[in-house]
Amino acid sequence: MKLSGRYFWFAIIFAGLVLLVYAFYEYNRKHSDLYSVDTVASTGAVALVTLYETDEQTANKLYLGKPVDVTGVVAEINTQQDTIVNLLLGNRNNVHNVSCLLDVKHTGRVKEVKIGDEVTVRGICTGYLIDVELNRCVIIPKNR
Amino acid sequence: MFTFSGQHFFMRVRMTILFLLTIVCHAVIAQTRFFTKSAKVSFYSTTPLAAIEAHNVKAVSVFDHTSGQIEFSVLMKGFEFEKARMQADFNENFVESDKYPKAIFRGNIKNVHDLALNKDGVYRAQVTGVLTIHGVSKTQNAESLFTIKSGVISAASELIITVADYNIKTPALVADKIGKTVKILVNISAYQPLSQNN
Repeated sequence: MKLSGRYFWFAIIFAGLVLLVYAFYEYNRKHSDLYSVDTVASTGAVALVTLYETDEQTANKLYLGKPVDVTGVVAEINTQQDTIVNLLLGNRNNVHNVSCLLDVKHTGRVKEVKIGDEVTVRGICTGYLIDVELNRCVIIPKNR
Repeated sequence: MFTFSGQHFFMRVRMTILFLLTIVCHAVIAQTRFFTKSAKVSFYSTTPLAAIEAHNVKAVSVFDHTSGQIEFSVLMKGFEFEKARMQADFNENFVESDKYPKAIFRGNIKNVHDLALNKDGVYRAQVTGVLTIHGVSKTQNAESLFTIKSGVISAASELIITVADYNIKTPALVADKIGKTVKILVNISAYQPLSQNN
């Protein structure tokens, strides 16, 4: 009886420690690298913009806050202060396009891309203002 | 006859140049609406137990110098936190981003005509407007600094809001880590002229 009581308290303390380690890990957890996550969908830039233009609520239900692969033509490459790199997929003459803010860990790959190239970008869809916005984006190589 | 034709020709050229210059000048002077798709909106909440900050570098803003109207739209899911758990809590539990995906500010610059767009300088602007977050709209006042340099307009503003005003409830477990007020900083590095194509 005495022994089982000792085991009981040992189990309680052990469970408490596991919980503490998990809470500490979870509290400090960084964002996962999108290069190696599964996406909810693959779509074209024009199709994504058209869906948001016609039915923003449905588009949000499908894509908001989720990782998605978007394929489109690079219309603009904007760099600010070396760390903020944004790709615009679509057509510069269009009002609405897909705007992809690259993950700072993956901005280097932008050197391999030029305006007019067709690329696939994986990012978290954050919604629709003038453009459909993707954050933490990664350029996915064609031969992957 | 030759002299007359020559004078007539040069007169017509001069008139044409004057006409073209008038059009160009009119186009430049008449440009009173500006926009940006890359305004930076940051917020900060500091308590003795935790310092929370998040940034969104893709806010949209439109500014009309004639009427003084100024607007901002920002996607709540576009705020990036250093820690993934904080970002998830912010979106799921505090501001309910799936239900209220945007925050919008619609306001007016009271002293807009003090901003001389054709004269370099730093101008203080008094902005009053309605800020909508989490489906709740509240009137806010802020002082903004507009900087005009070589025709480029940049702006910065600071605003302090009370979390409870926007019906944002903080769970008891983390309530002491989140301040009762949040400081919001807005930074626009360059407004662009708003044309038909934008």
